[in-house]
Amino acid sequence: MIALEFPEINSILVWKDIFPNFPFNKVALIAVLATLISATIFLLAVRQSHKEAPKGIRNFAEMIVEFVEDGIVMQTMGKDGLAWTPFLLTMFMFIYLCNVPGIIPFFQMPATARMAVPMFLALMVWVIYNVTGIKHQGVGGYLKSTLFPPGVPKALYILVTPIEFISAIIVRPFSLAVRLFANMMAGHILLVTFALLSEALFQAKDKVLIPVGILPFLMLVFLTSFEVLVAFLQAYIFAMLTAVYIGGATHPEH
Amino acid sequence: MPTAIVTQSNGRLVHVRLVSEDTTDTTMPEEAMLETTVLEDGVTGGEATPAQLKSAAGEAQVTVKAAPNPIAPTPKEALWSAGSFLVLFVILRYFLFPKLKKGMDARYADIRSDIEGADTVKADAQSAVADYEKALAAIRVEASGRIDAARQTVDTERNAQLAQVNARIAAARAEADQQTAAARAAAQGQVAAAVAQVATKAAQLASGRAPDAAVVQAAVTAAMESAGSR
Repeated sequence: MIALEFPEINSILVWKDIFPNFPFNKVALIAVLATLISATIFLLAVRQSHKEAPKGIRNFAEMIVEFVEDGIVMQTMGKDGLAWTPFLLTMFMFIYLCNVPGIIPFFQMPATARMAVPMFLALMVWVIYNVTGIKHQGVGGYLKSTLFPPGVPKALYILVTPIEFISAIIVRPFSLAVRLFANMMAGHILLVTFALLSEALFQAKDKVLIPVGILPFLMLVFLTSFEVLVAFLQAYIFAMLTAVYIGGATHPEH
Repeated sequence: MPTAIVTQSNGRLVHVRLVSEDTTDTTMPEEAMLETTVLEDGVTGGEATPAQLKSAAGEAQVTVKAAPNPIAPTPKEALWSAGSFLVLFVILRYFLFPKLKKGMDARYADIRSDIEGADTVKADAQSAVADYEKALAAIRVEASGRIDAARQTVDTERNAQLAQVNARIAAARAEADQQTAAARAAAQGQVAAAVAQVATKAAQLASGRAPDAAVVQAAVTAAMESAGSR
């Protein structure tokens, strides 16, 4: 029998500061790198001539912009929402680049597996869609369109209005943050679990157990590939829901 | 004097670490060489109270510190992520995205313009082809008319020449017929004269007198006409 010594949960989620007396840990480093990488991609892209057919980094940057425009903005907000493209592009790039380090050697930690990152993003989205709604419809109009959805029998407003209030004002930011955080943390813990299990089996004193280690190792490889998809999908979902909420606040009739 | 930093979570001992007083780093996790000693001095199963630890650590000062909640947001991470996001947003929104988008729009406008130009050229080419085909059809009609006219002219001339040739042939034939008839008539006259002479001679020999020349001539003529009609 082997005894798998699983590390204390904080040792795989809570990171020490990189520099003494300076509050800057691995999660902060990933967030800063996400900004630097995104800015570098677009900086290199704009330095190439736009007159020729795009290639290399410019092609990549334009592909991301078109993905956000066509796949997120146009699908949820229509042409009126194109002004939100830079914000949604920033959000998609930032979340994706905070997710991906979960499978990059030496980092092996998605920044979004720490509640601070999704919480900040969700709160920001909450503020933005509420402010946008009030700006477009006025306080009364926004509250009316949010809390009193049209087409519902008046008697049902007794039930619907509190539900809509809880849903739009409280649950939305909470679900937005928790969805991203929980998915990324669960993926991170799964990767750690199978990595530790593989290591334990490969280094088992009982030689019979060593070949068995291939099973968790294969699972580790599969989960790593799966996390590539999850990193993209979670960034897409977060940006998509942000666009839906802002679009709903801007055009409640839709 | 060393300080024992005890980390607990939900009343359970998570980590014990002895540090000297000047050490300020209290973050976890980090292996401590004295951890085992402390735990073996009466603390079992990872469950310990501060009093137990204090007695286990002897004269050491005991500080009990709760383990950080793994899902609780930490201010420094929130601030760094917020700062990074906002910096990226400002860079993209005000500098890089407009430049990239402007370039994309300019290129798409060029492509649209090229496509429209190509459409115009295509329409012009189609119009030219239509004009060409129209002109070709007119030329074909004209050529056909000219060919018909020429054919008519040729037919007329041919018919005229044919008529002339036929007339000439007919005239020659008539002349030849006349000559033939004249020759025949001359020959018939000569034959009739010879036959009449022979008949007169024969009759004279047979009867001893010369028959009437007119009768002989009439008989010979009748005989020759009779032979000619058979």
